[in-house]
Amino acid sequence: MRRTTRSALAVTTTMSLAGLAALTGCTSAGTTSGSSGGARTTLTLGMTQDIQGWDPTSQPAYQGWAASAVYDSLIRCGANGQPEPDVATSWTFAPNNMGVTAHLRSGMRFSDGSPVDAAAVKANFEYAKKHGGSAARFADMTVTTPDKSTVKITLSKPNPLLTARLCEVRMGSPRFLASGKTNKAPVGSGPYTLDASATTAGSTYTFTKNDAYWDSKRFPYKKLVIKVITNETAAINALKTDQIDGSLITQATYSQAEAAGLKVQWQKSEVTRLLITDHLGKKVPALGNVDVRRAMNMVFDKEAIAKNLYRGLASPTAQIFRAGTQARINGLKDPYPYDVEAAKALMAKAGYAKGFTLEMPYMQGQGLDALMPVVKQQLGLINIKVKQVTLSGPNAIGELLSGKYPVPMWALGNYADSRQDIADYVLPDGIWNVEHQQDPTVNKLWNTISSKTSEQSAKDQQALNQYVIDQAWFVPMVDTGTIYASNPEVKINKSTDPAGLHPQLWDFQ
Amino acid sequence: MLVSVLRKLVRAVAVLLLVSFATFTLMYGNGPGIARAVLGTNATDATVRAEVAKLGLDRPLLVQYGDWLKGVVTGDFGESFFTGQSVSSALSSRVPVTLTLIVLTILLTAVVSVLVGVAAAVRGGWIDRVVQFLSVAGAAVPPFIVAIGLVFAFAVSFRAFPATGYVSPDQSPTGWIESVTLPVLALLVAAIANSAAQFRGAILDTLSQDFVRTLRARGIPESKVVFRHVLRNAAGPGLTVLSLQTLGLIGGAVFIEQVFALPGLGELSNGSAQRGDVPMVMGCVLVTIVIVLVVNLLGDLVTAAVNPKARTR
Repeated sequence: MRRTTRSALAVTTTMSLAGLAALTGCTSAGTTSGSSGGARTTLTLGMTQDIQGWDPTSQPAYQGWAASAVYDSLIRCGANGQPEPDVATSWTFAPNNMGVTAHLRSGMRFSDGSPVDAAAVKANFEYAKKHGGSAARFADMTVTTPDKSTVKITLSKPNPLLTARLCEVRMGSPRFLASGKTNKAPVGSGPYTLDASATTAGSTYTFTKNDAYWDSKRFPYKKLVIKVITNETAAINALKTDQIDGSLITQATYSQAEAAGLKVQWQKSEVTRLLITDHLGKKVPALGNVDVRRAMNMVFDKEAIAKNLYRGLASPTAQIFRAGTQARINGLKDPYPYDVEAAKALMAKAGYAKGFTLEMPYMQGQGLDALMPVVKQQLGLINIKVKQVTLSGPNAIGELLSGKYPVPMWALGNYADSRQDIADYVLPDGIWNVEHQQDPTVNKLWNTISSKTSEQSAKDQQALNQYVIDQAWFVPMVDTGTIYASNPEVKINKSTDPAGLHPQLWDFQ
Repeated sequence: MLVSVLRKLVRAVAVLLLVSFATFTLMYGNGPGIARAVLGTNATDATVRAEVAKLGLDRPLLVQYGDWLKGVVTGDFGESFFTGQSVSSALSSRVPVTLTLIVLTILLTAVVSVLVGVAAAVRGGWIDRVVQFLSVAGAAVPPFIVAIGLVFAFAVSFRAFPATGYVSPDQSPTGWIESVTLPVLALLVAAIANSAAQFRGAILDTLSQDFVRTLRARGIPESKVVFRHVLRNAAGPGLTVLSLQTLGLIGGAVFIEQVFALPGLGELSNGSAQRGDVPMVMGCVLVTIVIVLVVNLLGDLVTAAVNPKARTR
């Protein structure tokens, strides 16, 4: 009886283990980026967030490899924000940043066969004026087409960010734009075309090289695969096992990537900061006092934050602009060195020795989770009681930008053209100047900056930077940025991304 | 039996309406937030307002829900606010991934748990003690920790399986087996740990009943007693545990899909809920409710089929 039971058990156990063995055994290693005869033919990139469909106006600059694969722009912006050829081979800017005349490349075609000509460029700028979240950026542009290969864009007032705007408009076929189905599949003129049969939206996007592309040599891979891997552990595992050739990672997995022999690049591209946007003290009167704002700057040990919280992948800073940009003041000595006692004295001088309460929003899961307790603790040393407002989900960005909170905490990216930083973070109508408070000095300096080139306006940009520092509108803490880990076999040129976030598609060689 | 099934179906529809309405209500009221998330930080307030109107997020809750329900009845689940992808096409690529994980895990759980449960209950001794210890240990370790361990051991160190990704069986059957092995194993550990202990208990209970003594006294072989009579009587609680496991696996799959970067329902619903992609969230919720209801219904039907006494309930 016992024996029979045991035999039955043995048989069924063997069968189920055989089933498991079928599942667990006899397998080969994970797939790798394809190579044939020693020459790599496939580039497989990980992307930590999905793309938002294929409409040319919803293509992100951050991890915008899919857009770069299928779409061209009128011009490309280089690492320093300088214009480079793309659809246009040459261009002439009108005086005072009032417009541009661009001469187009001949013979270019969209993937539906239609020509990339002046009419198509005009159609795309008109489309960008009416679609997508950045539509307002193009509202002031009037586009005319003197001939088939010339486009003239004129503005009603100077726009110092004109070059950046020209790089932003991705070009789709006019027929595609008019179809109303721009999210189904892209119809561009880029170096690759989407292979819909090998694509699963939200997971894997596969592209085939467009051999007729004007700059074909700059894109050596015959096939491009972009995999959406939102989980960092998964991304690093995929890198270690050659399933992908590159991905953005964070400080948390930096040492793992290094230990695994991956190539790691650190791009300094953002400054972690508090944004004291209520500098007129309309919501919290104390913030209207410059001594209070300066005191807030003096309670953070930036060296320790860079070393401990950012694991050395950050450097202390006293200004919000990136090194190498026109607004950056080189060799600036921190005017607000870490000194809690001096900060207390400033608070007392301002009449706020007993401090005040501050509602401070921060977004969960954006790399600031470890910093928030430090901010609360350090501001507490000068009796500023921080009531943390934790934001997440679809409302988070809207809440941060709403102007409800006088001092948001955020790590904001820096652009190659620091005028963009000024426009976004300092000007009264800047997105991140969330209370949009007017300031005559800023307005005056910006008026001067507006009609000059980036180089010509360097002195005024630095004057504006110094003014912002003197007024302590921000509490800059560390220069930090993004970390890109990649397969050592893949050659990656120095990043030409104007936002300094990661390599551009053409940087992979 | 048929009346019972019909009654369950009516109840299922009521649950579906209730849960979907509750979810819709939770997602509702965040029109500007969703529009801002769709458009990005560069959008002006006017653009955001226009987007709210374009997406129909400024309409009353009941009107929005009614439209969604009407669409569902006609087979139109809507389009993602963010990507413009049709919800049904997204679901058709995501649901098979999650179902693969759940179905494989539950089938293997059933087989292994029954065998382990029978072995522990019938043989007792050290086997029983080992099973009990492993049950507690297995249930205590969260599946994502097991997953990370498995990836480290079998994908990173030995390269026996891919660390991430999913291969559809029509693309490559072996690729499919390779891609689901580690995720399924990660889910299996806790599932078997929970179920084996339940099966063991149910079998022990049944073994102590009078009819078993009678069967043995009549000289019925022990294997027949265990596999034909005891197992059938112990099936009720065992199947209940399995159906509960299946429901638990829907939640567990979310983490596993993240660790293995599998394009499943969990990833889709998680990401969509974070962004406020109402049509996509509603599509995921709908599918999840249907899975839950089907599992419950199947559980009842299988229990009734295995144990005639259950059919009268």
